[in-house]
Amino acid sequence: MADKSLIGIEFPAFTWEVERGKMHELVQAIGDPNPIYSDKEAAIQEGYKDVVAPPTFVTIPAFWSGISTVVLKALKIDYARILHGEERYEYYQEIYPGDTLTVKARIVDIKTKSGKSGDMDIVTRECLHTNQRNEPVLKSITVTVERK
Amino acid sequence: MAQEIYSNDIEVGDVMPVLVKAPIDKVQLVKYAGASGDFNPLHLDPDVGKAVGLGGTIAHGMLIMGFVGQAMTNGIPKKYIKKFGVRFAGMTRPGDVVTVTGVVKEKSGNRIVCDLEAKNQNGTLLIGGSFEAALPSR
Repeated sequence: MADKSLIGIEFPAFTWEVERGKMHELVQAIGDPNPIYSDKEAAIQEGYKDVVAPPTFVTIPAFWSGISTVVLKALKIDYARILHGEERYEYYQEIYPGDTLTVKARIVDIKTKSGKSGDMDIVTRECLHTNQRNEPVLKSITVTVERK
Repeated sequence: MAQEIYSNDIEVGDVMPVLVKAPIDKVQLVKYAGASGDFNPLHLDPDVGKAVGLGGTIAHGMLIMGFVGQAMTNGIPKKYIKKFGVRFAGMTRPGDVVTVTGVVKEKSGNRIVCDLEAKNQNGTLLIGGSFEAALPSR
């Protein structure tokens, strides 16, 4: 079960270099042909500086950095029992290839709820992403549900 | 360049272009795992899915959120989106056909809030969510 004494804990920040190829891989897997994610000229025509990160891009640093696993381990959450409950993003600026993101993860809430199939721990994690100019670009809020 | 969109032309109750995705295939789940880094075996190994009582693999929830994001930015350019959030309501399996719909729920000045839904071919809700956008005005 999730350890409630860890509400408010912050994890060490990590950095992530944004690659054009990873953006393209993600939209290819989704099957989103919008050229602003893969064609620089088309993106510039639409008013961007370069291709831009698609809306769910920051899932890539969350998984590939290993922070998702670090958080689950720190909270003693059983990986096999979790469901992704919610995902929310606040966008402050576009993310471009070549950006270096610094990601700070924090546990903002842990609560227990009683459901039809028993008790569940609901963990809310917030990740603030800033760029190489120390400007906030995106906040993500991830809610995971651990069935007991 | 795509036609500019102005807040003046949008009203509460307007519907977004409907997005009907091709059936989910197992290779797509492998591609999504590689792209995102989410290698949870529930999405890749049917034996693991069977062992936990799911009957086989299920799609990554974030892949379906990706479909919802595709529908969102088909309707409103990415640069105007300020917030985007979803609740995962149901599981998606290989072969399922996901349809995403959206409707404008609120408008205040140049800001709009739209509700979004992703459903499967049986009408089961997979994702409910919303986004907020700040649009240019004329």
